[in-house]
Amino acid sequence: MKLELVTLSGVKVDQDVYEVMLPTAAGPIGVFENHEPLVSVAIPGAIAVRYKRGDSDSKLEYFAISGGVIEITGKRVRVLVDEADHGDDIVEAESKAALAKALDMQKNAKTSVDLEKATALVDRHQVRLNVAGLRRRQRH
Amino acid sequence: MPSQRQLKGRIRSVKNTKQITKAMQMVAASKMRRAQDATKATAPYTNTAREILAHLAQQGETKDHPLFEARTIKKRLLIVVASDKGLAGAYNTNISKQYIRELMADDKAGIKTSTIAVGRKVTSFVTRLKDAELIGAYEDLPDQLEGHELRAALDSAYNLFIEGKIDAVDMVYTEFVSSVTQIAKTERLLPAGSVDAPENDKLHEALFEPDPETVLTSVVYRLINAQLFQAFLDARASEHSMRMLAMKNATDNASDLIDDLTLAMNKARQASITQELAEISGGAEAMK
Repeated sequence: MKLELVTLSGVKVDQDVYEVMLPTAAGPIGVFENHEPLVSVAIPGAIAVRYKRGDSDSKLEYFAISGGVIEITGKRVRVLVDEADHGDDIVEAESKAALAKALDMQKNAKTSVDLEKATALVDRHQVRLNVAGLRRRQRH
Repeated sequence: MPSQRQLKGRIRSVKNTKQITKAMQMVAASKMRRAQDATKATAPYTNTAREILAHLAQQGETKDHPLFEARTIKKRLLIVVASDKGLAGAYNTNISKQYIRELMADDKAGIKTSTIAVGRKVTSFVTRLKDAELIGAYEDLPDQLEGHELRAALDSAYNLFIEGKIDAVDMVYTEFVSSVTQIAKTERLLPAGSVDAPENDKLHEALFEPDPETVLTSVVYRLINAQLFQAFLDARASEHSMRMLAMKNATDNASDLIDDLTLAMNKARQASITQELAEISGGAEAMK
């Protein structure tokens, strides 16, 4: 089964995988080959990818995604998101600091522009932090 | 006629300026190349979204959807995209002109206009206008633009449209046609237009979760997001390409100026030598 992770700044993943776990509006779903055709809405969260059959959970790869659209046909999963960050690229401490800063910004926002900016940042870093947490848990 | 020393000083200062403009030209050139590559990277995203949308449109889902509803336009939102910095030739001026054209057209048609400005130059331009309503200003966007950077601007426009406070959203930006041609233009963002995309056979019996309408809203949101993002990237590429050209002209002008000044200086030097010689020979004559 082919996984395509398409973002605004280009295609992030385009390769064969065994299983994909996706956060959708109707709850998390796991997708294997020959899944029935489905178009669904992705919510901000973590995508987990198992590349080969029999890979243990510690080999899962995670991506932090913002909201998007998922399109599943039997042989292909296409995930259309505004942004996707590979779990390994996220530094937990950095995310935590960024989240704290964003929350602070949200609290002290004076104009509606600032507030919207801050809210978008809070959402983004929350998701990134969660993904960082997932990775840590599986390592230990 | 300026003295030799004055001319020397001027030549030195023009040479310094030339070095700076030359460096700026190089920087703009490399940034333009990067921005140009980025404009191509959004294509897969847009195409995928279009495919899904085309499929939904075929099922008649788009007909009564609020995002496609063309209302009588009483109030319009303009998202004006220009740059934070000047020294890019007519880049900011062209956008301002296009913006004024839109304002005048709206004024004639009795449409109220509000504005979201992107870039310091255009923000200060809009604030100086008497009857322009500025509802948002964005500055200091990073060189490597990412999706979340635009979310705030997009969401405020999107929400205003959904709430019915605004009947149409247009963007004014510079389209990057090629490295020599850039056009300031206006493009409609909302209501979403119809789409023509190749139909995706595999989606024929697809299930839509939670329901087609939610999926449709999400897809359209992604599409206008991509459209806005693309416009920003185009604007970026245009800015750098126009700055590159402006700086190239400045460098050329500096070279010409240096040539002229060098000529003037040589003349001045020659004149002083001639004068000295005349004085010496005059003095020698007098001694006889």
